[in-house]
Amino acid sequence: MRRFFKIYRILVAQNLKRIIEYKADFLTGAVSFLIDQAVGIAFIFIIFSQIPQLAGFTFEQIVFIYGFSQIPKGLDHLLTDNLWCVGYFIVKKGDFDKYLTRPINPLFHVIAETFQVDAIGELIVGIVLMVYVSGSVNLYITPLSVILFILVIPFAAMIYTAVKIAAGALAFWIKSSGFIIQMVYGMNEFAKYPTTIYSSFVRILVTYIIPFAFTGYYPSIYLLTGQNPLFNIGGTVLMSVIVMSIALLIWHKGLSAYESAGS
Amino acid sequence: MKAGVQTLIAYRMNFFGFAIGGLIYCFVMYYLWKAVFGSSGSDNFMGFSMVDMTLYLFLSNITSQLTFSSVCDDVGEEIKYGTIVMRLIKPVNTDMSYLANEMGGNGMKFIISTMPMIIGIEIYRFFAVGQVMFHIGSFALYLVSVILAYLISFRVNLCFGFMAFYVKNLWGMNILKNSIINFLSGMLIPLAFMPDFLRKTLEYMPFSSMNYTPVMIYMGKYSIYETVFRLLVQAVWAVIIYALSKIIWLGAIKRLSVQGG
Repeated sequence: MRRFFKIYRILVAQNLKRIIEYKADFLTGAVSFLIDQAVGIAFIFIIFSQIPQLAGFTFEQIVFIYGFSQIPKGLDHLLTDNLWCVGYFIVKKGDFDKYLTRPINPLFHVIAETFQVDAIGELIVGIVLMVYVSGSVNLYITPLSVILFILVIPFAAMIYTAVKIAAGALAFWIKSSGFIIQMVYGMNEFAKYPTTIYSSFVRILVTYIIPFAFTGYYPSIYLLTGQNPLFNIGGTVLMSVIVMSIALLIWHKGLSAYESAGS
Repeated sequence: MKAGVQTLIAYRMNFFGFAIGGLIYCFVMYYLWKAVFGSSGSDNFMGFSMVDMTLYLFLSNITSQLTFSSVCDDVGEEIKYGTIVMRLIKPVNTDMSYLANEMGGNGMKFIISTMPMIIGIEIYRFFAVGQVMFHIGSFALYLVSVILAYLISFRVNLCFGFMAFYVKNLWGMNILKNSIINFLSGMLIPLAFMPDFLRKTLEYMPFSSMNYTPVMIYMGKYSIYETVFRLLVQAVWAVIIYALSKIIWLGAIKRLSVQGG
């Protein structure tokens, strides 16, 4: 375990050096994700200029849910962005062999290789939004609720990671699975808004099948109302562990099915 | 053009990935708007009914597929890796070869994706309204408008692609470009819903010509006079952006520094 941390530290340090070298690129990345988020908020703002409440939620509550949903997403984006590349071209170009010849776990190596600082944009927006509206929404704050809320973030982020691992691993069979990651990952759009606005089919889909609802709505509703910690927080942890186990299983199956491609 | 058709067929899985991703997005927005209409307590939200809104979402998605241009990435990559010099020494007009290639691909999309979606939308509208609302004239004008929109989109993307001369983070640039265009072109939220001064400004900017104008024409939200006027605005922008991309190109090419061989 200590060896993993040491290797990780070295690889991240390499990444940070690259960022210092290409400052303009880092700024472009961070600013672009920031603007992307600002546009999302402008959208909610324009809707609420016409109606006082959306499905029983106030503007501030919706912003809180939206803001929270960006934190697990940003965390996953920061740490595991390289999984996209596995799906899109690493396997297709035959570059995956590199990871297999090294004496560390290939999945760990793939993930550790990139430290995607563009994600700072999402994280900052998420935190700023939550702090900004925290005064005007009645948060359920007790020592326990705060601890639970913070603890749940890595688990929520793991749902994103699991989806990327599972969809990315399909590339071991079909060479290029970027479009599958894109498709499944795209469903995180559903996490930004209360699940109560969707039809029951969509609700079941994003709760139990591709559980993105646990990366946004459910944990935030716990802090907004204090209700159902077992489902809202416990459910997130449970779902996260389940999807991650499935994802790892697919990944290992894929590794044994992998045949090198390319020249 | 033929090469474009072949590329699309070869990479059809990627195309379907994006098409389905777009559809998921449409459905999220559909439910969101349904909740908005439910909460506002009236059937009419700033001149749009729920049927209008649904139509708008899906048409906007179709239009963005048809006006899609990846020239930003293509040119960007070529500049980044220096392969652009290979194009410069060939006796073919660089932009035109990109344009022809993409039009082939987008023409294919029209057949395999747009037509089924239009039929789907019209069936939905028939059941929602109770009569056939499809208007062949509007559809023809829509097609004209989409072609103009594509030409603008192509040039705008080309201009963004040239940014690769200055910044090497193409992925970040792409996100930036898309979020700006999505918002300003009315794809995210109809311009009709925006505050008055903003709407009036945006209606004269090139971005609304890229998505909002064709969609509104299809939906029959414009009078004949207004439609002609909007098409003219599109045409004027198509010319201005064309000139702009040429000027940027001439300026940027002097800065060309090729990394590696």
